[in-house]
Amino acid sequence: METLMVDRVQSSLRLFMYRNALFLCERLCAEFPSELNLQLLATCYLRNNQAYCAYHILKGSKMPQSRYLFAISCFQMNLLREAETALCPANEPNAEVPNGAAGHYLLGLIYRYTGRRTCAVDHFMQALAIDPLLWAAYEELCILGAAEEASECFNDAAAFRVQQQQLSESSSQNLTIGTECQSLPSSMALGSGDTSPRHSKQLHANNTRETLSHPHGTVMVAGHPPIGGPSNISQYYTPPAVTQLSGVAPPPLCRNAQLYLNAIGGDGYTKSNVNAVIQAPRRKFVDEGKLRKVSGRLFSDSGTRRSTRLSGEAAANTNSNASQLGGNGANHFSAKSLGGLSSSSSKTNSAVLRSVTLRRGQSWANENFDEDNTVTTSSMSALADGKCLEQDKMGCGISAHDSRLASGIREFLGLLRTLGEGYRLSCLYRSQEALEVYLRLSQHQFNTGWVLSQVGKAHFELVDYFEADRFFDLARRVSPYTLEGMDIYSTVLYHLEEEMKLSYLAQELISVDRLSPQAWCAMGNCYSLQKDHETAVKNFQRAVHVDSRFAYAHTLCGHEYVALEDFENGIKCYQSALQVDERHYNAWYGLGVVYLRQEKFEFAEHHFRKAFHINPCSSVLMCYLGMALHSLKRDEEALEIMEKAISADKKNPLPMYQKANILSSLERFDEALKELEQLKEYAPRESSVYALMGKIYKRLNVHEKAMFYFGIALDLKPPAADVATIKSAMEKLYLPDELEDTL
Amino acid sequence: MATESDGEEDTAGKLTGSQHLEVDDDLREMAKKAAWSVSSCKPGNGVLALRDDNLDTYWQSDGAQPHLVNIQFQKKVKLQLLVLYVDFKLDESYTPSKISIRAGDGFHNLKEIKTVEFKKPVGWVHIPLSGTDPRETFIHTFMLQLAVLSNHLNGRDTHVRQIKIYGPRPNPVPHQPFHFISKEFITYSTLR
Repeated sequence: METLMVDRVQSSLRLFMYRNALFLCERLCAEFPSELNLQLLATCYLRNNQAYCAYHILKGSKMPQSRYLFAISCFQMNLLREAETALCPANEPNAEVPNGAAGHYLLGLIYRYTGRRTCAVDHFMQALAIDPLLWAAYEELCILGAAEEASECFNDAAAFRVQQQQLSESSSQNLTIGTECQSLPSSMALGSGDTSPRHSKQLHANNTRETLSHPHGTVMVAGHPPIGGPSNISQYYTPPAVTQLSGVAPPPLCRNAQLYLNAIGGDGYTKSNVNAVIQAPRRKFVDEGKLRKVSGRLFSDSGTRRSTRLSGEAAANTNSNASQLGGNGANHFSAKSLGGLSSSSSKTNSAVLRSVTLRRGQSWANENFDEDNTVTTSSMSALADGKCLEQDKMGCGISAHDSRLASGIREFLGLLRTLGEGYRLSCLYRSQEALEVYLRLSQHQFNTGWVLSQVGKAHFELVDYFEADRFFDLARRVSPYTLEGMDIYSTVLYHLEEEMKLSYLAQELISVDRLSPQAWCAMGNCYSLQKDHETAVKNFQRAVHVDSRFAYAHTLCGHEYVALEDFENGIKCYQSALQVDERHYNAWYGLGVVYLRQEKFEFAEHHFRKAFHINPCSSVLMCYLGMALHSLKRDEEALEIMEKAISADKKNPLPMYQKANILSSLERFDEALKELEQLKEYAPRESSVYALMGKIYKRLNVHEKAMFYFGIALDLKPPAADVATIKSAMEKLYLPDELEDTL
Repeated sequence: MATESDGEEDTAGKLTGSQHLEVDDDLREMAKKAAWSVSSCKPGNGVLALRDDNLDTYWQSDGAQPHLVNIQFQKKVKLQLLVLYVDFKLDESYTPSKISIRAGDGFHNLKEIKTVEFKKPVGWVHIPLSGTDPRETFIHTFMLQLAVLSNHLNGRDTHVRQIKIYGPRPNPVPHQPFHFISKEFITYSTLR
């Protein structure tokens, strides 16, 4: 009855019928109280968004999985301390973190949100080390500014680990065969994988999960669908085919054989043959239930063989064995495989290992190495096979699997590498380089919501709002319900002063998800554009309320408070933003502006410098830093920074203007005028340029020119404050003349 | 733009008020952080009614004329526009007819800067505040005082329903001599 209940609960969970799952699970726990059942109940609660219930029932549990689930509930309830103790009990400093990579990732998040950056980085690294495909960990590392190059993280060693994992997963069911096979990983996989499938099959038959422990982890992960999907079960490539070995290349059992064949390239014909052959016999074999026997035999055989094999060659995993395996096969197989093995060149170790493991797993130790594949692929395939095994159904010819697995892993890692590098560069604000990296992606990957928003974000950082708008728009068309990055899009529209589009965006986002911070940020930006700062503050506060870990909402709120001249609250908001994400340079910038306004120039300079340190490519930041330096009377440095800003972004007129301003205050009027003349060409309708020129000519006592420029400035309709200033300056121009006249 | 029905000269035409509150975009309400006080009031119709954004509540004075509304700022501010909401149809003899606007550093040195007359006003009455020099659009002051010198039909006490004060927006880029108006400059002038 217990298994039945567990099964029902799990299928309800799979089909998202949470109420059913909860009810049944409660009955289960009442009837058969055990920690495993408690874990299942907690899972039901967590899926149903009732973290508090899960928290309650798991409090105090000791099993690793319970501790992990408990930590998840604590994290969702924002009880970070408890989550941390659950994952890392204080009195057991060396206890292993439950669930490996996932546990480390969760710990990393906890450390990040409690402000312990180095520990967080450490754990994310560990998570990546255990599971190189854990993108989220890499993402967090980028955000913390501690990511190493993507090519370092998602490299061949990683591929190896992934493969190993895959294999070990499959084999874990059977045996924890070890990781003897280390080598393979990146190699082209493949070949040898077959043994595993076969083994697995057999094991399967025996009710043992063979997962031929292909520890080699050729994780076929990525690109390959579970090898030989269950449907192909018969495709297991069980190595046993000792008999097969003789001559028949173990056909990749899985239907992937085809692929496998391709991958292996070369073994082609054998494989297909084998496949066919194998399939038949395999099934037969299985049906016959002789597996056990065979396996037993194989096992023992393999024992010795394995070692030989191991020493021998890794490569030749002949899958041939697979097919015929039958009981006889086993023996033969072993022999054959051995033989095969020896023939195969490859890195024997791995192959051997594989076989060994396989054997262990299933006794046939199918060493179905692909003889053809000398490369370590055998091991890889074995690994891959292992993976297959784990599914029990994955029979796919081991070799096929392995190679596929390996190449799949490599492809996947390659993809992650590009994406990771792009993301890392954009987090370091080296946006131009990031864009180049993203362009290396394939068409179909590029045209996805995530990538397009990242590209949009990169353009935003380069202050190229038109391009940013274009990309974000594309992103919305490609995936209209995506929310990530839409807050930046709303800021882009704010800068472009596109009221219609911005309000449309805000409305749409709200209708998609009223509880997302991005939607309220967009709304707030909308009101801010209309200069209704109070409502904007309310909206941003709502965004903060909805998700207090969303740094940008805090920053935008701060901007609004500053616009309302409420500096105290503004500072508080910026500081909360920085608590969430120390590398949020907009918040550092915001603080700098506040202090600049309050005339606390030292503070202003410090904060601008921090922002500049995080984002060294922004010409706007350089400009502000220069302004702060100028206010501190450190004009030489100010001028230097302005030069840098001018060269950093040719399209930014501000640094030139500021430079002219500084020069005029230093009484270097001619240079100032030169800058302003240039600016005039660039922005002919900017009244402040003419006004400043007028002011300079006034200082130089060239009254005609001063009047002329003041006149132009007034014609361009500046705001009333400027009109007043200019007019009074013009008045004062006349006075000396009048005096002279009368005299 | 600020709309006034008749001319704005104190001496000639009289103001009548408009239905809508129309204020320039580059102006903002200044008096949220100011200290408001009145010379006298009837209980229940105090100074809060002047600032509650509710046109149904009003301040009612309860003493001798002139009735005063004092607005004190925390620092010297630039003010450009004063807007009052009064309603002759509802308040009749309580409606102010002559108002004097004074400014200065404090109670001790207020100086009159403007006097306006109303004629049966209904709605928002916009009163631009300019210095003695008509070319100066702002007044620069610590304190503003509104004195109701007389009411329609010689009423003793007065009703004022809402008062708003406007001044220029600060430059979004701090410490600049001039504002930026062109797209190119504005795009690069701030980060968000």
